[in-house]
Amino acid sequence: MSEPASKSVVAARLRVVVHAVDALRRTALGRVVAEAGHIVVDAQDAADVVLADGDGPRGETRPIVSLGGADQDLPGVLSRHADPNQIDAAIRAVAAGLLVRLPEAMDSGFGVMRETDGHALLTPRELEVLAALAEGMTNKAIARRLNISLHTVKFHVESVFRKLGARTRTEAVAKASERRRYETMTL
Amino acid sequence: MTDQPDLLAQFSNALATRVEAAKNAVVAIRLAHGRHLTGMAWRSDIVVASEQSLPRKDEFELVAAGGSVLTAKIAGRDPSTNIAILRPATPMASPSITAGEARTGAVALAIGADGAGGASARLGLVNLVGPEWHSSRGGLIDRRIVLDVNVGRREEGGPVFDAGGGCLGMSTFGPRGQVIAIPTATIERVVPQLDKDGRIARGWLGVALQAVAVPDALRESADQSSGLMVMSVVEGGPAAQAGILAGDIILSVDGTPAHRFRKIARHFGADSIGRKVDLRLIRSGTVMTVQTTIAERHAA
Repeated sequence: MSEPASKSVVAARLRVVVHAVDALRRTALGRVVAEAGHIVVDAQDAADVVLADGDGPRGETRPIVSLGGADQDLPGVLSRHADPNQIDAAIRAVAAGLLVRLPEAMDSGFGVMRETDGHALLTPRELEVLAALAEGMTNKAIARRLNISLHTVKFHVESVFRKLGARTRTEAVAKASERRRYETMTL
Repeated sequence: MTDQPDLLAQFSNALATRVEAAKNAVVAIRLAHGRHLTGMAWRSDIVVASEQSLPRKDEFELVAAGGSVLTAKIAGRDPSTNIAILRPATPMASPSITAGEARTGAVALAIGADGAGGASARLGLVNLVGPEWHSSRGGLIDRRIVLDVNVGRREEGGPVFDAGGGCLGMSTFGPRGQVIAIPTATIERVVPQLDKDGRIARGWLGVALQAVAVPDALRESADQSSGLMVMSVVEGGPAAQAGILAGDIILSVDGTPAHRFRKIARHFGADSIGRKVDLRLIRSGTVMTVQTTIAERHAA
Protein backbone atom coordinates (compact mmCIF):
# COMPACT_ATOMS: atom_id res chain seq x y z
CA MET A 1 0.00 0.00 0.00
CA SER A 2 2.40 2.68 1.18
CA GLU A 3 4.88 3.66 -1.45
CA PRO A 4 8.55 3.79 -0.47
CA ALA A 5 9.79 7.23 0.56
CA SER A 6 10.77 9.24 -2.47
CA LYS A 7 14.46 9.96 -2.94
CA SER A 8 13.93 13.65 -3.33
CA VAL A 9 11.87 14.57 -0.30
CA VAL A 10 12.65 18.25 -0.62
CA ALA A 11 10.12 18.77 -3.35
CA ALA A 12 7.70 16.08 -2.29
CA ARG A 13 4.45 16.20 -0.37
CA LEU A 14 5.18 14.42 2.86
CA ARG A 15 2.83 12.42 5.04
CA VAL A 16 2.89 13.98 8.49
CA VAL A 17 1.35 12.81 11.76
CA VAL A 18 0.49 15.71 14.05
CA HIS A 19 0.76 14.80 17.72
CA ALA A 20 -0.60 17.26 20.27
CA VAL A 21 -2.56 16.64 23.45
CA ASP A 22 -4.44 19.91 23.09
CA ALA A 23 -7.05 19.70 20.32
CA LEU A 24 -6.77 23.38 19.35
CA ARG A 25 -3.04 23.11 19.03
CA ARG A 26 -3.43 19.94 16.97
CA THR A 27 -5.79 21.72 14.57
CA ALA A 28 -3.47 24.72 14.29
CA LEU A 29 -0.41 22.59 13.61
CA GLY A 30 -2.38 20.50 11.11
CA ARG A 31 -3.22 23.66 9.22
CA VAL A 32 0.44 24.74 9.18
CA VAL A 33 1.43 21.34 7.78
CA ALA A 34 -1.32 21.35 5.13
CA GLU A 35 -0.59 24.91 4.05
CA ALA A 36 3.06 23.93 3.55
CA GLY A 37 1.81 21.41 0.98
CA HIS A 38 2.00 18.25 3.07
CA ILE A 39 -0.63 15.67 3.90
CA VAL A 40 -1.79 15.26 7.48
CA VAL A 41 -2.34 11.56 8.23
CA ASP A 42 -3.57 9.65 11.29
CA ALA A 43 -1.11 8.28 13.82
CA GLN A 44 -1.64 4.67 12.71
CA ASP A 45 -1.15 5.48 8.99
CA ALA A 46 2.12 5.26 7.12
CA ALA A 47 3.92 8.57 7.60
CA ASP A 48 7.26 10.18 6.80
CA VAL A 49 7.50 12.45 9.83
CA VAL A 50 5.79 12.99 13.17
CA LEU A 51 5.32 16.62 14.21
CA ALA A 52 4.95 16.63 17.99
CA ASP A 53 3.92 19.41 20.32
CA GLY A 54 6.42 18.83 23.14
CA ASP A 55 7.99 15.40 23.36
CA GLY A 56 6.83 12.78 20.88
CA PRO A 57 4.61 9.82 21.75
CA ARG A 58 6.44 7.03 23.58
CA GLY A 59 7.76 4.25 21.39
CA GLU A 60 7.42 6.29 18.20
CA THR A 61 9.92 4.96 15.66
CA ARG A 62 9.35 7.41 12.81
CA PRO A 63 11.45 10.61 12.73
CA ILE A 64 10.04 13.25 15.08
CA VAL A 65 10.13 17.02 14.83
CA SER A 66 9.50 18.21 18.38
CA LEU A 67 8.22 21.69 19.21
CA GLY A 68 9.63 22.67 22.58
CA GLY A 69 10.20 19.11 23.84
CA ALA A 70 12.83 18.28 26.43
CA ASP A 71 14.37 15.37 24.53
CA GLN A 72 17.34 16.85 22.70
CA ASP A 73 18.09 13.53 21.02
CA LEU A 74 15.19 13.67 18.59
CA PRO A 75 16.01 14.30 14.91
CA GLY A 76 14.22 17.66 14.89
CA VAL A 77 14.10 20.02 17.86
CA LEU A 78 12.43 23.42 17.41
CA SER A 79 11.06 25.89 19.92
CA ARG A 80 7.39 25.75 20.86
CA HIS A 81 6.95 29.04 19.02
CA ALA A 82 8.54 27.92 15.74
CA ASP A 83 7.02 29.71 12.75
CA PRO A 84 5.40 27.89 9.78
CA ASN A 85 8.53 28.28 7.62
CA GLN A 86 10.70 26.69 10.26
CA ILE A 87 8.22 23.84 10.77
CA ASP A 88 8.05 23.16 7.02
CA ALA A 89 11.84 23.30 6.64
CA ALA A 90 12.33 21.02 9.65
CA ILE A 91 9.80 18.44 8.39
CA ARG A 92 11.53 18.28 5.01
CA ALA A 93 15.02 18.15 6.50
CA VAL A 94 14.17 15.40 8.98
CA ALA A 95 12.42 13.37 6.27
CA ALA A 96 15.63 13.64 4.26
CA GLY A 97 17.58 12.17 7.16
CA LEU A 98 19.08 15.38 8.51
CA LEU A 99 19.10 16.69 12.08
CA VAL A 100 17.52 20.04 12.89
CA ARG A 101 18.59 22.19 15.83
CA LEU A 102 18.16 25.81 16.88
CA PRO A 103 21.30 27.94 16.96
CA GLU A 104 20.82 28.45 20.73
CA ALA A 105 21.14 24.69 21.22
CA MET A 106 24.69 24.92 19.91
CA ASP A 107 25.30 27.73 22.34
CA SER A 108 23.99 25.75 25.29
CA GLY A 109 26.47 23.93 27.45
CA PHE A 110 27.46 24.26 31.03
CA GLY A 111 28.68 27.80 31.35
CA VAL A 112 29.58 30.56 33.69
CA MET A 113 26.97 32.86 35.19
CA ARG A 114 26.84 35.88 32.91
CA GLU A 115 26.80 39.22 34.60
CA THR A 116 26.83 42.64 33.01
CA ASP A 117 29.55 45.11 34.03
CA GLY A 118 28.38 47.74 36.48
CA HIS A 119 28.59 50.66 34.08
CA ALA A 120 26.34 48.87 31.56
CA LEU A 121 23.56 48.01 34.01
CA LEU A 122 20.23 49.58 33.13
CA THR A 123 18.18 51.62 35.61
CA PRO A 124 14.55 50.70 36.40
CA ARG A 125 13.43 53.70 34.30
CA GLU A 126 15.50 52.50 31.35
CA LEU A 127 13.88 49.07 31.64
CA GLU A 128 10.47 50.75 31.45
CA VAL A 129 11.55 52.64 28.34
CA LEU A 130 12.79 49.36 26.85
CA ALA A 131 9.47 47.65 27.54
CA ALA A 132 7.76 50.47 25.65
CA LEU A 133 10.27 50.18 22.78
CA ALA A 134 9.51 46.46 22.62
CA GLU A 135 5.85 47.36 22.06
CA GLY A 136 6.90 49.56 19.15
CA MET A 137 5.92 52.81 20.87
CA THR A 138 7.16 56.16 19.60
CA ASN A 139 9.11 58.53 21.84
CA LYS A 140 6.02 60.70 22.10
CA ALA A 141 3.88 57.77 23.23
CA ILE A 142 6.54 56.72 25.73
CA ALA A 143 6.64 60.24 27.15
CA ARG A 144 2.89 60.13 27.63
CA ARG A 145 2.91 56.68 29.22
CA LEU A 146 5.72 57.42 31.65
CA ASN A 147 4.56 60.99 32.23
CA ILE A 148 7.96 62.49 31.40
CA SER A 149 9.13 65.01 28.80
CA LEU A 150 10.03 64.04 25.25
CA HIS A 151 13.52 65.33 25.95
CA THR A 152 13.88 62.95 28.90
CA VAL A 153 12.66 60.01 26.82
CA LYS A 154 15.33 60.76 24.19
CA PHE A 155 17.92 60.95 26.94
CA HIS A 156 16.87 57.52 28.28
CA VAL A 157 16.75 55.94 24.81
CA GLU A 158 20.28 57.16 24.07
CA SER A 159 21.51 55.83 27.38
CA VAL A 160 19.87 52.44 26.68
CA PHE A 161 21.53 52.31 23.25
CA ARG A 162 24.91 53.14 24.73
CA LYS A 163 24.66 50.61 27.57
CA LEU A 164 23.48 47.82 25.29
CA GLY A 165 25.76 48.70 22.39
CA ALA A 166 22.75 48.96 20.08
CA ARG A 167 22.27 51.20 17.04
CA THR A 168 18.57 50.67 16.42
CA ARG A 169 15.47 50.20 18.55
CA THR A 170 15.06 46.65 17.30
CA GLU A 171 18.63 45.82 18.18
CA ALA A 172 18.21 47.33 21.65
CA VAL A 173 15.09 45.26 22.29
CA ALA A 174 16.80 42.07 21.06
CA LYS A 175 19.93 42.65 23.14
CA ALA A 176 17.92 43.49 26.25
CA SER A 177 15.83 40.36 25.90
CA GLU A 178 18.94 38.23 25.46
CA ARG A 179 20.45 39.82 28.54
CA ARG A 180 17.28 39.15 30.50
CA ARG A 181 17.22 35.54 29.33
CA TYR A 182 20.78 34.86 30.47
CA GLU A 183 21.01 37.07 33.50
CA THR A 184 17.71 36.67 35.30
CA MET A 185 18.30 34.45 38.29
CA THR A 186 15.62 32.74 40.29
CA LEU A 187 16.02 32.63 44.00
CA MET B 1 71.78 -1.27 19.30
CA THR B 2 68.60 -0.43 21.14
CA ASP B 3 70.23 0.61 24.40
CA GLN B 4 68.89 4.11 23.86
CA PRO B 5 65.15 3.88 24.62
CA ASP B 6 62.88 5.42 22.02
CA LEU B 7 61.12 8.18 23.95
CA LEU B 8 58.16 8.41 21.61
CA ALA B 9 57.51 4.68 21.86
CA GLN B 10 57.80 4.88 25.64
CA PHE B 11 55.38 7.79 25.77
CA SER B 12 52.95 5.96 23.53
CA ASN B 13 53.20 2.72 25.51
CA ALA B 14 52.72 4.58 28.77
CA LEU B 15 49.55 6.19 27.42
CA ALA B 16 48.16 2.92 26.11
CA THR B 17 48.86 1.28 29.48
CA ARG B 18 47.06 4.12 31.27
CA VAL B 19 44.03 3.83 29.02
CA GLU B 20 43.91 0.07 29.51
CA ALA B 21 43.98 0.60 33.27
CA ALA B 22 41.27 3.26 33.03
CA LYS B 23 38.87 0.89 31.31
CA ASN B 24 37.04 0.13 34.53
CA ALA B 25 36.78 3.83 35.38
CA VAL B 26 34.08 4.31 32.74
CA VAL B 27 30.67 2.89 31.84
CA ALA B 28 28.51 3.57 28.80
CA ILE B 29 25.07 4.97 29.61
CA ARG B 30 22.74 3.83 26.84
CA LEU B 31 20.47 6.45 25.25
CA ALA B 32 17.89 6.21 22.50
CA HIS B 33 18.81 5.70 18.83
CA GLY B 34 21.86 3.55 19.61
CA ARG B 35 23.72 6.44 21.18
CA HIS B 36 25.40 6.54 24.54
CA LEU B 37 27.01 8.85 27.05
CA THR B 38 29.96 8.13 29.31
CA GLY B 39 29.69 7.80 33.06
CA MET B 40 32.47 7.67 35.65
CA ALA B 41 32.59 4.60 37.87
CA TRP B 42 32.96 6.74 40.97
CA ARG B 43 32.33 4.06 43.57
CA SER B 44 31.24 0.45 43.19
CA ASP B 45 27.65 1.64 43.75
CA ILE B 46 27.77 5.12 42.15
CA VAL B 47 28.22 6.27 38.57
CA VAL B 48 28.76 10.00 37.99
CA ALA B 49 27.49 11.56 34.75
CA SER B 50 27.03 14.92 33.05
CA GLU B 51 23.61 16.15 34.18
CA GLN B 52 23.00 18.43 31.19
CA SER B 53 23.23 15.58 28.70
CA LEU B 54 21.37 12.91 30.65
CA PRO B 55 17.74 12.57 29.46
CA ARG B 56 15.05 12.97 32.11
CA LYS B 57 14.44 9.31 32.74
CA ASP B 58 14.48 7.32 35.97
CA GLU B 59 16.34 4.29 34.73
CA PHE B 60 19.15 3.60 32.28
CA GLU B 61 21.06 0.62 30.94
CA LEU B 62 24.78 0.68 31.58
CA VAL B 63 27.51 -1.19 29.77
CA ALA B 64 30.27 -1.81 32.30
CA ALA B 65 33.92 -2.62 31.63
CA GLY B 66 34.12 -5.96 29.85
CA GLY B 67 30.69 -5.54 28.27
CA SER B 68 28.27 -6.67 30.99
CA VAL B 69 24.96 -4.83 30.84
CA LEU B 70 23.26 -3.71 34.03
CA THR B 71 20.44 -1.36 34.89
CA ALA B 72 20.90 1.72 37.02
CA LYS B 73 18.47 4.16 38.59
CA ILE B 74 18.98 7.89 38.78
CA ALA B 75 19.88 8.59 42.42
CA GLY B 76 20.21 12.34 42.16
CA ARG B 77 20.80 15.24 39.81
CA ASP B 78 22.19 18.71 40.36
CA PRO B 79 21.94 20.98 37.31
CA SER B 80 23.79 23.75 39.15
CA THR B 81 27.05 21.77 39.18
CA ASN B 82 26.17 19.55 36.19
CA ILE B 83 26.50 16.38 38.27
CA ALA B 84 24.10 13.44 38.17
CA ILE B 85 24.55 10.13 39.95
CA LEU B 86 23.18 6.73 39.02
CA ARG B 87 22.98 3.68 41.25
CA PRO B 88 23.61 0.37 39.45
CA ALA B 89 21.36 -2.52 40.47
CA THR B 90 24.44 -4.62 41.26
CA PRO B 91 27.80 -3.27 42.46
CA MET B 92 30.51 -3.01 39.82
CA ALA B 93 34.27 -2.77 39.65
CA SER B 94 35.58 0.72 40.22
CA PRO B 95 39.11 2.02 40.49
CA SER B 96 40.22 4.14 43.42
CA ILE B 97 40.13 7.75 42.26
CA THR B 98 42.59 10.30 43.58
CA ALA B 99 42.27 13.97 42.79
CA GLY B 100 44.86 15.46 40.47
CA GLU B 101 46.10 19.02 40.44
CA ALA B 102 45.22 20.93 37.26
CA ARG B 103 48.15 22.91 35.83
CA THR B 104 47.98 24.95 32.67
CA GLY B 105 49.98 23.25 29.94
CA ALA B 106 50.01 19.83 31.63
CA VAL B 107 49.03 16.76 29.64
CA ALA B 108 45.39 15.70 30.01
CA LEU B 109 44.09 12.25 29.10
CA ALA B 110 40.30 12.06 28.66
CA ILE B 111 38.67 8.63 28.78
CA GLY B 112 35.32 7.75 27.29
CA ALA B 113 33.26 4.57 27.07
CA ASP B 114 33.14 2.91 23.66
CA GLY B 115 29.71 1.42 24.30
CA ALA B 116 30.88 -2.19 24.20
CA GLY B 117 32.73 -2.38 27.50
CA GLY B 118 35.96 -0.78 26.35
CA ALA B 119 37.50 2.65 26.62
CA SER B 120 38.14 5.39 24.10
CA ALA B 121 40.90 7.93 24.67
CA ARG B 122 41.71 11.56 23.88
CA LEU B 123 44.96 13.33 24.56
CA GLY B 124 45.52 17.05 24.96
CA LEU B 125 46.54 19.76 27.37
CA VAL B 126 45.04 21.65 30.23
CA ASN B 127 44.30 24.83 28.30
CA LEU B 128 43.81 27.07 31.30
CA VAL B 129 43.13 26.93 35.01
CA GLY B 130 41.29 29.59 36.96
CA PRO B 131 39.72 30.17 40.35
CA GLU B 132 36.31 28.93 41.51
CA TRP B 133 33.32 30.10 39.47
CA HIS B 134 29.53 30.16 39.55
CA SER B 135 27.60 28.40 36.82
CA SER B 136 24.67 30.03 35.07
CA ARG B 137 22.48 27.77 37.20
CA GLY B 138 23.96 29.14 40.39
CA GLY B 139 26.25 26.27 41.42
CA LEU B 140 29.76 26.74 42.76
CA ILE B 141 32.50 24.98 40.78
CA ASP B 142 35.75 24.70 42.70
CA ARG B 143 38.11 25.54 39.83
CA ARG B 144 37.92 26.62 36.25
CA ILE B 145 39.57 23.87 34.15
CA VAL B 146 39.43 24.39 30.40
CA LEU B 147 40.84 21.57 28.30
CA ASP B 148 42.45 21.53 24.89
CA VAL B 149 41.08 18.04 24.31
CA ASN B 150 38.71 17.09 21.55
CA VAL B 151 36.06 15.15 23.47
CA GLY B 152 33.25 13.50 21.47
CA ARG B 153 29.56 13.61 22.43
CA ARG B 154 29.64 9.97 23.53
CA GLU B 155 32.67 10.59 25.70
CA GLU B 156 31.18 13.42 27.71
CA GLY B 157 31.06 12.55 31.42
CA GLY B 158 34.24 10.49 31.45
CA PRO B 159 37.23 11.10 33.71
CA VAL B 160 40.15 13.31 32.72
CA PHE B 161 43.53 12.22 34.11
CA ASP B 162 46.79 14.06 34.53
CA ALA B 163 50.20 12.53 33.77
CA GLY B 164 50.49 11.21 37.31
CA GLY B 165 47.20 9.33 37.05
CA GLY B 166 45.35 11.83 39.25
CA CYS B 167 41.78 12.64 38.21
CA LEU B 168 41.31 16.28 37.21
CA GLY B 169 37.56 15.84 36.96
CA MET B 170 34.71 14.88 34.67
CA SER B 171 34.73 16.06 31.06
CA THR B 172 31.76 18.11 29.87
CA PHE B 173 30.84 20.79 27.34
CA GLY B 174 30.70 24.48 28.05
CA PRO B 175 29.19 27.04 25.66
CA ARG B 176 30.14 26.70 21.97
CA GLY B 177 31.49 23.21 22.44
CA GLN B 178 34.31 24.24 24.75
CA VAL B 179 35.53 21.22 26.72
CA ILE B 180 35.84 21.77 30.45
CA ALA B 181 36.29 19.55 33.48
CA ILE B 182 34.06 19.57 36.54
CA PRO B 183 36.81 19.32 39.16
CA THR B 184 37.17 16.19 41.28
CA ALA B 185 36.84 18.40 44.38
CA THR B 186 33.37 19.52 43.22
CA ILE B 187 32.29 15.93 42.56
CA GLU B 188 33.62 14.87 45.99
CA ARG B 189 31.60 17.65 47.60
CA VAL B 190 28.36 17.13 45.69
CA VAL B 191 28.09 13.33 45.40
CA PRO B 192 27.58 12.62 49.14
CA GLN B 193 24.73 15.16 49.27
CA LEU B 194 23.12 13.76 46.12
CA ASP B 195 23.56 10.24 47.47
CA LYS B 196 21.82 11.19 50.72
CA ASP B 197 18.98 13.42 49.45
CA GLY B 198 18.79 12.91 45.69
CA ARG B 199 19.27 16.62 45.18
CA ILE B 200 21.19 19.61 46.46
CA ALA B 201 19.04 21.50 48.90
CA ARG B 202 18.99 25.24 48.27
CA GLY B 203 17.33 28.19 49.86
CA TRP B 204 14.40 29.81 48.10
CA LEU B 205 12.59 33.14 48.26
CA GLY B 206 10.37 32.78 45.21
CA VAL B 207 11.63 35.70 43.14
CA ALA B 208 13.28 36.28 39.75
CA LEU B 209 16.05 38.86 39.96
CA GLN B 210 17.94 41.00 37.48
CA ALA B 211 20.86 43.30 38.32
CA VAL B 212 20.03 46.98 37.78
CA ALA B 213 21.73 50.31 38.31
CA VAL B 214 20.35 52.24 41.27
CA PRO B 215 18.86 55.53 39.96
CA ASP B 216 21.18 58.50 40.56
CA ALA B 217 18.72 60.20 42.89
CA LEU B 218 18.78 57.21 45.24
CA ARG B 219 22.47 56.36 45.23
CA GLU B 220 23.22 58.34 48.33
CA SER B 221 20.46 56.89 50.49
CA ALA B 222 21.07 53.40 49.08
CA ASP B 223 24.83 53.79 49.53
CA GLN B 224 25.49 51.59 46.50
CA SER B 225 25.31 51.89 42.74
CA SER B 226 23.64 48.60 41.84
CA GLY B 227 21.21 46.06 43.23
CA LEU B 228 18.93 43.20 42.21
CA MET B 229 15.51 44.17 40.93
CA VAL B 230 12.64 41.81 41.61
CA MET B 231 11.23 40.96 38.16
CA SER B 232 8.53 38.60 39.40
CA VAL B 233 7.31 37.08 42.66
CA VAL B 234 6.07 33.50 43.00
CA GLU B 235 2.61 33.45 44.53
CA GLY B 236 2.63 32.06 48.06
CA GLY B 237 6.46 31.98 48.21
CA PRO B 238 8.46 33.43 51.12
CA ALA B 239 9.02 36.74 49.31
CA ALA B 240 5.31 37.11 48.54
CA GLN B 241 4.42 36.35 52.15
CA ALA B 242 6.84 39.03 53.30
CA GLY B 243 5.13 41.53 51.00
CA ILE B 244 7.98 41.86 48.49
CA LEU B 245 6.75 43.30 45.21
CA ALA B 246 7.90 43.19 41.60
CA GLY B 247 9.95 46.34 41.05
CA ASP B 248 11.58 46.32 44.50
CA ILE B 249 15.36 46.61 44.26
CA ILE B 250 17.19 44.42 46.76
CA LEU B 251 20.29 46.20 48.06
CA SER B 252 21.61 43.75 50.60
CA VAL B 253 20.93 40.40 52.25
CA ASP B 254 21.82 40.29 55.95
CA GLY B 255 24.24 43.13 55.34
CA THR B 256 25.96 41.60 52.30
CA PRO B 257 25.62 44.04 49.38
CA ALA B 258 23.55 42.52 46.55
CA HIS B 259 25.48 44.13 43.70
CA ARG B 260 25.35 40.86 41.85
CA PHE B 261 23.62 37.55 42.31
CA ARG B 262 26.79 35.61 43.04
CA LYS B 263 27.62 37.95 45.92
CA ILE B 264 24.56 36.77 47.83
CA ALA B 265 24.41 33.17 46.57
CA ARG B 266 26.22 31.85 49.64
CA HIS B 267 23.40 33.10 51.86
CA PHE B 268 21.09 30.56 50.22
CA GLY B 269 22.90 27.26 50.64
CA ALA B 270 21.41 24.12 52.20
CA ASP B 271 21.97 25.49 55.71
CA SER B 272 19.90 28.61 54.98
CA ILE B 273 16.54 26.83 54.87
CA GLY B 274 14.27 28.02 57.67
CA ARG B 275 16.54 30.94 58.56
CA LYS B 276 15.26 34.52 58.78
CA VAL B 277 17.02 37.10 56.60
CA ASP B 278 16.86 40.87 56.47
CA LEU B 279 16.50 42.25 52.98
CA ARG B 280 17.33 45.91 52.55
CA LEU B 281 15.52 47.22 49.51
CA ILE B 282 14.30 50.25 47.61
CA ARG B 283 10.57 50.58 47.07
CA SER B 284 9.02 53.68 45.46
CA GLY B 285 12.09 55.74 46.17
CA THR B 286 12.42 54.73 49.83
CA VAL B 287 15.00 52.45 51.41
CA MET B 288 13.44 49.95 53.81
CA THR B 289 14.17 46.59 55.41
CA VAL B 290 11.94 43.56 55.09
CA GLN B 291 12.40 40.30 56.95
CA THR B 292 11.54 36.98 55.38
CA THR B 293 12.14 33.30 56.10
CA ILE B 294 14.06 31.25 53.54
CA ALA B 295 12.19 28.18 52.32
CA GLU B 296 13.49 25.22 50.36
CA ARG B 297 13.70 25.35 46.59
CA HIS B 298 11.91 22.55 44.82
CA ALA B 299 13.11 21.11 41.54
CA ALA B 300 12.16 23.24 38.56
